[in-house]
Amino acid sequence: MRVTRGMMRRRLVVLLMALFAAILALVGRLFFVQVLQSGWLAGLAKSSWDRTVPLAGIRGSILDSAGQPLTYTATAPTIVAVPSQIKDKPGTARKLAPILNMSEASVLRQISQRELMVYIRPGGRQMSEAKANQIRALGLPGIYLTEDGKRAYPYGDLAAQVLGITGYENVGLTGLEKQYNSVLTGQKGGITFYAKANGELIPGEGQSVVEPTDGDDIKTTINLQVQQYVEREIEQAVAEYNPDSVTAIVENPQTGAIVAMANYPTFNPADWRNAPPSTYNRNLAIWQTFEPGSTFKIVTLSAALQENKVNLQDSFYDPGYYEVAGHRIRCWKAGGHGSESFLQVVENSCNPGFIALGERLGKESLFSYIRNFGFGQKTGIDLPGEGNGILFKLNRVGPLELATTAFGQGVSVTPIQQVMAVGAVANGGKLMKPYVVSEILNHDTGQVVEETKPTVVRQVISSATAAQVRSALESVVANGSGGKAYRDGYRIAGKTGTAQVAKNGHYESGHYIVSFIGMAPANQPKLVAYIAIDNPHPKHGVVFGGVIAAPIVGNILDDALHEMGVQPSPEGLPKKYRYPEVPPVTVPNFQGLTLKQAQNFALQNSANLKVDIQGQGQVVVAQSPAGGSKVEPGSVIRLYLGDGKPSGN
Amino acid sequence: MFQTRATSTPRQAGDLAIVGVILVLLSFGITMVHSASSVVSATRFGDPFYFSKRQLIWAIIGVLCMFWFSRIDYHVWRKHAPKLAVASFAMLVLVLIVGVNRGGSKAWLGIGSLGIQPSEFAKLGLVVFLAHLLAESADRMHSFWRGFVPPMGLALVAVGLIMLEPDLGQSVVIMGTTVIMLFAAGTRMSHLGALFGVGMLGFGGLVAVAPYRMDRIAAFIDPWKYPLGKGYQIIQSLYALGSGGILGLGLGNSRQKFLYLPEPQTDFIFSIIGEELGLLGGICVLLLFAVLVWRGIRTAIYAPDEFGTLLGVGITGMIAVQVLINIGVVTGSIPATGITLPFISYGGSSLTLLLSGVGILLNISKQAGVVR
Repeated sequence: MRVTRGMMRRRLVVLLMALFAAILALVGRLFFVQVLQSGWLAGLAKSSWDRTVPLAGIRGSILDSAGQPLTYTATAPTIVAVPSQIKDKPGTARKLAPILNMSEASVLRQISQRELMVYIRPGGRQMSEAKANQIRALGLPGIYLTEDGKRAYPYGDLAAQVLGITGYENVGLTGLEKQYNSVLTGQKGGITFYAKANGELIPGEGQSVVEPTDGDDIKTTINLQVQQYVEREIEQAVAEYNPDSVTAIVENPQTGAIVAMANYPTFNPADWRNAPPSTYNRNLAIWQTFEPGSTFKIVTLSAALQENKVNLQDSFYDPGYYEVAGHRIRCWKAGGHGSESFLQVVENSCNPGFIALGERLGKESLFSYIRNFGFGQKTGIDLPGEGNGILFKLNRVGPLELATTAFGQGVSVTPIQQVMAVGAVANGGKLMKPYVVSEILNHDTGQVVEETKPTVVRQVISSATAAQVRSALESVVANGSGGKAYRDGYRIAGKTGTAQVAKNGHYESGHYIVSFIGMAPANQPKLVAYIAIDNPHPKHGVVFGGVIAAPIVGNILDDALHEMGVQPSPEGLPKKYRYPEVPPVTVPNFQGLTLKQAQNFALQNSANLKVDIQGQGQVVVAQSPAGGSKVEPGSVIRLYLGDGKPSGN
Repeated sequence: MFQTRATSTPRQAGDLAIVGVILVLLSFGITMVHSASSVVSATRFGDPFYFSKRQLIWAIIGVLCMFWFSRIDYHVWRKHAPKLAVASFAMLVLVLIVGVNRGGSKAWLGIGSLGIQPSEFAKLGLVVFLAHLLAESADRMHSFWRGFVPPMGLALVAVGLIMLEPDLGQSVVIMGTTVIMLFAAGTRMSHLGALFGVGMLGFGGLVAVAPYRMDRIAAFIDPWKYPLGKGYQIIQSLYALGSGGILGLGLGNSRQKFLYLPEPQTDFIFSIIGEELGLLGGICVLLLFAVLVWRGIRTAIYAPDEFGTLLGVGITGMIAVQVLINIGVVTGSIPATGITLPFISYGGSSLTLLLSGVGILLNISKQAGVVR
């Protein structure tokens, strides 16, 4: 069968239609790509043409409560070179090298790198304005000037853990630098230009410069002077007692503002890379948890007074122990305090007395106060890395746990939790939320962008109860174990604490955390101050616990209140002339103890006594005055060392 | 004598629509070659006019060829068809031996500074010879062995030689053109169907032998997976088209030509057209080609004899297949196959050979008459 012309024509018409259909399909495809996908594709294309040389905004400063910078970013002109835009590389290197005090070869090598942008090191970073102007005047293509900044710390390691550190590209890594990183960080600007695929500038397209915005400043509640006093006191304590670590906090109890916060060991934030990570990664004041010891008795006392479970005039008999569920829990004082009022229980920090208060409250009530005082949960301070602390679970609390908790053992708390709890006693019963940053300010105008308002978390005890607790604590300082914190006219109220440190379920022998928490003036406290000294190693032999921490808080409060212009008041408890007479302190018996045993024994004892060591040897062979005799607080006890046999303890 | 538009007496000018469309496409092409290539040629040769100058010269030579060929009675080619076929195959073999490697493909015969592509020449030579062969075998087209196999076998040999260069684009164009001519010549649909089946099997075999061929397909299906590899060109092409939108960035305002799109003056010139002139520009170009295809097929229909019809279909089909493949690739509609856009892309051999083909087509149109 021959193919006819007619059939050929029909097939040609079909072919024509098919080709038209194919062309139409391409039109459809073009419509899809150029209309429906246009926005998406054009965006992708644009970002592939854009080259942006970033310009960083200046990081905001961190200011103290008076507006003095604790850290700020010092900036200086810095060259950013865009190699693909530099046509004449040798010529550019020749012109730049003398200004930058660099060799031509080094400049040339750096601007010849296949990078979008390079810094010319070292001469091209952080130059003088004069040099920058010289370079600007050259008008070299592909050479840009920007500001490059470095954190400066005018006070060295002051408040290092509070301020925190910044790392690569000035990003905050710890402390306020981390917490407020987004506030402090400026908005990046940049020089944007359209580039060919090889990075060269597309001629005639020009470039757009977006100026960077500086970050905001943050104004803290840290008082530079008080912070310096605190750090000075810590330094002296370290020199004196060579402890593992020291933590101190000063708070304004009326607002919850942190006035000072310091730790030892510390570091220089400008050089943090050479410091041990434990110094810059942890802020002990909010991170460390330990058994508070006697300072925790303030919580038990507050609860018992609020619940009307005790009258401070009631009397109590301490035989030296308290029997709980068949166990005898001993008082820190061998032989006990005998007959005493509950005020004296507080003054003497008598453990059996507090166990009794705990029993009167019952576990539900005591633990509910503990939680309401903020223990067992984060305080919500605006610093990163806060600890929770640990409380017994209520269903696990038996009589023994209730008893130890009542005098501050078996619970684990952070320093900031203690400060905030005592702050509640100081301000009339309100638990405040602590804060470090009071205002966010515009870096350039100083205008307030944001302000922190004090936050009341809850009312824990009544104002009247708080006043009662404060007056008991004032009496602790005036008459009791906190005597070393007494400062005439400043009405300091407070409590010592000596806690053993538990490790792997056992108390570590000879490892104590000696602390004191105080407030002043007792009638309307302006400040709460806290110090904890972990594992003091007294250089001069034997030191009583009551002698270590209390005077430090006394010094801090004295200097700080003076600095704040608080006038001394004559209304406080006079130290020596109050009725009843200052109770004499019973001298402990050191005879037969080794020097090490004597040290531990004294640390646990918050009595305000000084020790003078005479002679050479390992064992205390004699002491004066003798053990059991009564002396005035502040008296000196002489211990005579010799080569006798330790009688053990 | 003048009652019908098409008369039996030969016309002097041929189909003026074809001439018009070709001249418009050529001028537009030179403009776009200049716009697309200026950055590349300035970067590579320090002369932004490097490609456009050459394209202008080739276009003039090509147009001269076109008018010269339009004056040669197309029946002459039938006489020389066997010689043309032999010459085509000889060149395809020769290029494999002494060819110059450009861009990974041994597709060029260098004569001094001039390079010609034997595959371009062979394409036209094969079209002429196939038209001759198919016209001869009109009475045995229904036969598989005597009607279908000889032309298809010949085409496959040519494709095989070209694949040795290798040049996938030209091979696909030759296969496409051959299928169109066989279809027009009245081959059985079942034979074409069988060819399709064998083709799929062959492709499967090729992929099985060398799995890298699958990459090309994978890059076509999802070019974004290989943004710097096989998908790069397609992505850059889509960037260009997408940036162009409906109206385009304006003539000369392409950004993708700034070395993002490789060889923007050849295979991917349509991307630059789409970027600078938008969807409307692209549709205009497609419309021009549609007119050309219509006039070409019309010429074939009205050709005085079967050889004329088949030659007309072959030349028109060859142009159409190239346009469809080129724009299909550029728009990401089909897997990447390197082929130029007729009359627009830069390239001397391609332009002169295509214009010569159009010259032949014009001569057929001159002799076209009323339905006989």
